[in-house]
Amino acid sequence: MRILFVVVASLAIIWPGPSTVSLAQPSNSAGSPIPAEASPNDIDGQKMFATTCGFCHQDGGRHAGRGPKLSKSERSDEFIIERIKKGKMGAMPAYGSVFSDGQIIAILAYIRGLDD
Amino acid sequence: MALYGRHLGSGVALAAVVLLTASPVHAQSAAALNAEAAQNDWPTHHGTYKSYHYSGLDQINTGNVKNLEVAWMHFPERATRGLQSTPLAVDGVLYYSGSYSRVWALDGATGRTIWSYAPELDEELVSKQTHSPYNRGIAIGQGNLYVGTVDGRLIALNLKTGQPVWDTKLLDSKKMTVGFTGAPLVVKDMVIIGAQGGEWPHRGPIFGVDSKTGQKKWEFFTVAGTEEAMASWGGDSWRTGGGGGWMPGAYDPETNTVWWGTANPAPLYDWSGADWKKSGPRPGDNLYTTSVIALDPDTGKLKFYHQELPHDAWDFDSAVGEFVMLDRGGKKLVVHANKSGYIFVYDRSNAKVENVWPLVKNINFVKSIDPKTGELIGRRDLAEGKVDPPLCPAIAGGISWNSGAYNPKNGLFYRIGQEWCMEMTVEKTTPILEPMAQLNIGATFKFIPPPDGPARGHLSARDPVTGAKKWEVNYKYPPLASVLATAGNLVFVPDAEGVVHAYNADTGEELWSRNNGMGHNAGIISYMAGGKQYIAVPAGWGSLVADEFVALYGEPFKSMSKNTGALVVFALRQ
Repeated sequence: MRILFVVVASLAIIWPGPSTVSLAQPSNSAGSPIPAEASPNDIDGQKMFATTCGFCHQDGGRHAGRGPKLSKSERSDEFIIERIKKGKMGAMPAYGSVFSDGQIIAILAYIRGLDD
Repeated sequence: MALYGRHLGSGVALAAVVLLTASPVHAQSAAALNAEAAQNDWPTHHGTYKSYHYSGLDQINTGNVKNLEVAWMHFPERATRGLQSTPLAVDGVLYYSGSYSRVWALDGATGRTIWSYAPELDEELVSKQTHSPYNRGIAIGQGNLYVGTVDGRLIALNLKTGQPVWDTKLLDSKKMTVGFTGAPLVVKDMVIIGAQGGEWPHRGPIFGVDSKTGQKKWEFFTVAGTEEAMASWGGDSWRTGGGGGWMPGAYDPETNTVWWGTANPAPLYDWSGADWKKSGPRPGDNLYTTSVIALDPDTGKLKFYHQELPHDAWDFDSAVGEFVMLDRGGKKLVVHANKSGYIFVYDRSNAKVENVWPLVKNINFVKSIDPKTGELIGRRDLAEGKVDPPLCPAIAGGISWNSGAYNPKNGLFYRIGQEWCMEMTVEKTTPILEPMAQLNIGATFKFIPPPDGPARGHLSARDPVTGAKKWEVNYKYPPLASVLATAGNLVFVPDAEGVVHAYNADTGEELWSRNNGMGHNAGIISYMAGGKQYIAVPAGWGSLVADEFVALYGEPFKSMSKNTGALVVFALRQ
């Protein structure tokens, strides 16, 4: 089912400036200043993927590694969102309490946009 | 401190009485710990403090190893990610740990369970961790057995009964993500243990804990733990962290010094390129990450150090690699393997570099390392975008965390090397400070074969100081388990396919092999029980490096279960 994905991914794309930071950026509750190199443009699924997911899903998700290949996945959006949230013991960490729904959707949007 | 956990021993009280009356309470012999060879016991993770992974037993030798057969087996429950630990053996009892920090005490001759212990862990936290829920080893001393947990605790169990003695929370793992996966090290009355990981924003602490009471005595921050170190992180970039001492170090009693290796800084890869001293997510040398550090075990104070890779931009930890302590030409040396594939040789009194030599062929993250000073020559600092040519070795390293072995009789050092590279693209990511459950990688990548042939592994027998090679055995798939050398002139290698090999230590000729049915990514030891020599090896696949093998090689790894395991113990046929 892609309807949810399309709606929320669109929101993620058009969401205005500062709010986007809180949606798709790793939280910074320590209140430390964001380094000068970072900008709201850094905040997208691709960056998040390279920060965390690329450790296991190789070539940006286009190739299997520790985890499976994700590009052109036949898994449903619901399955991928659930897997990101709950993980799989011994294989994938659970990110449900780490990433916001918006961040997870940004990652999903990145995965769905991958070519092979 | 809290005492909790599920104690599973059957007939524990009776067993305890029998043991206590049969032999005096075992006190770890300083002489045994300081010896070159482990004899009847295997009292510490690396065999003895000299870290040779060498057994002085020779009942099993080149002449009769062909008669080696399975004596007994033990099957742990909940072996998620297989078995990754190195057993210990004391007074004919074998002790080992499995996933979720479960511990078993088994009769070394028969495999009969004496006691078992299963701590209650924070399962929700465990589910969030990447390097979880495996455990890589235990320590024994002062009448206790010690095991770390992935939710940040160090637990002491009575060696005879398995009953908890103390249970100390050392890390707020809910906040830090990291806990403990590596084995502790007992030095006198102190239990020393390092936190896992180089990918998270914590300061990789190494702890000293009172073995009797469980009280924390000291904590050394491997990230910015001194003023000098703090100055090596631009701005407040030390907060990006890393530097876990995730494998056990060693102890030099002559100088009362603990040697420990530390992990890379986070993020693993940064985009600063040649300007890494001034820009990027962590400008500067990033002390004391990817370093060998020498600590006073009584106080945790830093004595001296050598940073093997200043500003490690490649995830080539110093946390891997045992500290092989040997004397040569009047010099007291220590040999340490870095994940990059280079072997460093140091003066034990001050960590001055005496030599550096490459164990593997495919290295291009530097042109070389100066063997006299340890300076990196022609380092490749990565900028944002595609890395061309691909980086060698790959993120799994030229050397992994499994240990080598040294035979003091023939002077040969046996170590597994890995030949592989990776295509990668460095991404400019945002430093992660909190919450801490996220990895901080900074790149996407894909394993590929190296330029000179297929992705592969090898065991080589070398002079540990010069690196001169005497013989080599090649493997289609890199073995990921530790190596054992014995006074029977044998070298044992448990491989990735599931086969344990025994080689002639002088020639590399294969004399025996046995298929355990699943890959190995743990330790291997030898010990004596009832006057008989045994070889014990945990089988069970599923480490993070092992996970790469499916994409790299397909079968047999695609079909290999990674959530099961068995401790397989061999002895000579009667």
